[in-house]
Amino acid sequence: MAVNGIIEIHNLSFFRGNRAIFKDIDVSIAAGKITVIMGPSGTGKTTLLRLIGGQLQPHRGEVQLFGENIAQLNRKQLNQLRGRMGVLFQSGALFTDLTVFENVAFPLREHTQLNDMQLHDRVLLKLEAVGLRGARDLMPSHLSGGMARRVALARAVALEPEIILYDEPFAGQDPIAMAVLQRLIKDLNDEMRLTSVLVSHDIAEACAIADRIILLGEGRVLAHDTPEALQTSTDPAVRQFMHGEADGVIPFHFPAPPLAEELLCDHASVADNRGGLQ
Amino acid sequence: MINLVSALGGQLLQRLALLGQALLMLLQSLRVLPGKHGLSRLIQQLYVVGVQSLIIMLVSALFIGMVLGLQGYTLLSAYGSEQAVGQMVALTLVRELSPVVAALLFAGRAGSALTAEIGLMKATEQLASLEMFGVDPLHRIVAPRFLAGLICLPLLVAIFSLVGIYGGHIVAVDWLGVYSGSYWGNMQQAVDFGEDVINGMIKALVFAFVVSWIALYQGYSCVPTSQGISAATTRTVVYSSLAILGFDFILTALMFGGA
Repeated sequence: MAVNGIIEIHNLSFFRGNRAIFKDIDVSIAAGKITVIMGPSGTGKTTLLRLIGGQLQPHRGEVQLFGENIAQLNRKQLNQLRGRMGVLFQSGALFTDLTVFENVAFPLREHTQLNDMQLHDRVLLKLEAVGLRGARDLMPSHLSGGMARRVALARAVALEPEIILYDEPFAGQDPIAMAVLQRLIKDLNDEMRLTSVLVSHDIAEACAIADRIILLGEGRVLAHDTPEALQTSTDPAVRQFMHGEADGVIPFHFPAPPLAEELLCDHASVADNRGGLQ
Repeated sequence: MINLVSALGGQLLQRLALLGQALLMLLQSLRVLPGKHGLSRLIQQLYVVGVQSLIIMLVSALFIGMVLGLQGYTLLSAYGSEQAVGQMVALTLVRELSPVVAALLFAGRAGSALTAEIGLMKATEQLASLEMFGVDPLHRIVAPRFLAGLICLPLLVAIFSLVGIYGGHIVAVDWLGVYSGSYWGNMQQAVDFGEDVINGMIKALVFAFVVSWIALYQGYSCVPTSQGISAATTRTVVYSSLAILGFDFILTALMFGGA
């Protein structure tokens, strides 16, 4: 099997309980590009990111990073591989008992043998890149949401990884913070020759920075193409998502029996449901 | 009937699986001994778990000792043997009350805090993020807290006994006029180091193990939402309290039952 992408997913299936989150999906993510994983809420975007990071194991199929099947690695090899990969969690996930400086220094202390001077310089450079050198002595609880995410970004790139995974980097950010993050992600990708994988459902932001977009839905890959191609796609599901239409092939309702059936059911069961809030 | 049996069996199997998971968590976190940095993390946790629990222990011990002194004096003076109040206070504390009450307070003060802390770390993805930096959260977060609990509670129990005995002295000797020499003398004669003090310490060690284990497992396995953390914290206190009282009976029966 020829490996061409830096991240290769083959025939991957993943279940939560009996519900299939993914059914035999194939994804290939090219090196050096910004790829955005999009899709309606609950389609497993974050799950896919965790599968790539090796935090979840697929039930079928395989995930290859740098040409290696991560399910076959032992703990040490996996940790080595993770040293080449940065992750920006949705909440930032800064260590609340460490200062901003120590948070960024954390991966360096764990994975490198830098002396204190080198470490100090490297951390300051990373903080400078996200514009927060002046905040180095603050505790995470004193940062705004946008600042916390930028610190987390500095921490994620501290080891100069080859791949960086972003989980909803724009969620809950004000327009300025969003623009700042967007520029940072793009600049970092270009300057450090990173491969960036983002999870997002913000179409405008995603289209602005993405080289490729993977659209997930109903347990499969609906589309994997450039933003321009997706904007003009004629596929009904793709159209509905890209243009934010409420009505279309992607259902608004959670699966349920027909409404008429439920309204006409015997009302004993309704009485059973009462009292839940009392 | 069959349904009932199978439901019970299913419940039992589920509980056993949870116990197995908890045991695995513990074994995995203690697989590697802490290194140089591990020691400084341990010391930090000794401060949080132990030193910060001191005030509540000291105050409770003083009052419990005073109550024991008062009750002992009232009871014993009816038989004219109030001289024995010292030995009563000391034996009650060393054998039973210090380990049990200190462990219950420890579960409420330190155990619940551990569960909430680790649960919140899980909810804010700090544990996942450690993992992505190639750091085992069991080794980094769980192990030092477990060891700190194991070290602190026996020490707190010893302090509890000391302060309790002093509290008894305040009431019985200073206020009610029992002769100080007989308070200490009878105590010295009655309390056996191996039989009483060591057995009390063994209890403390067992309780320390159980409480720390429950608190850490509940935090580590909780559902990472606000309800999940609150439920896990409650479970820590409830399970720990029941386990302490249950184990206390078993240990007492083993230690003092035959004689």
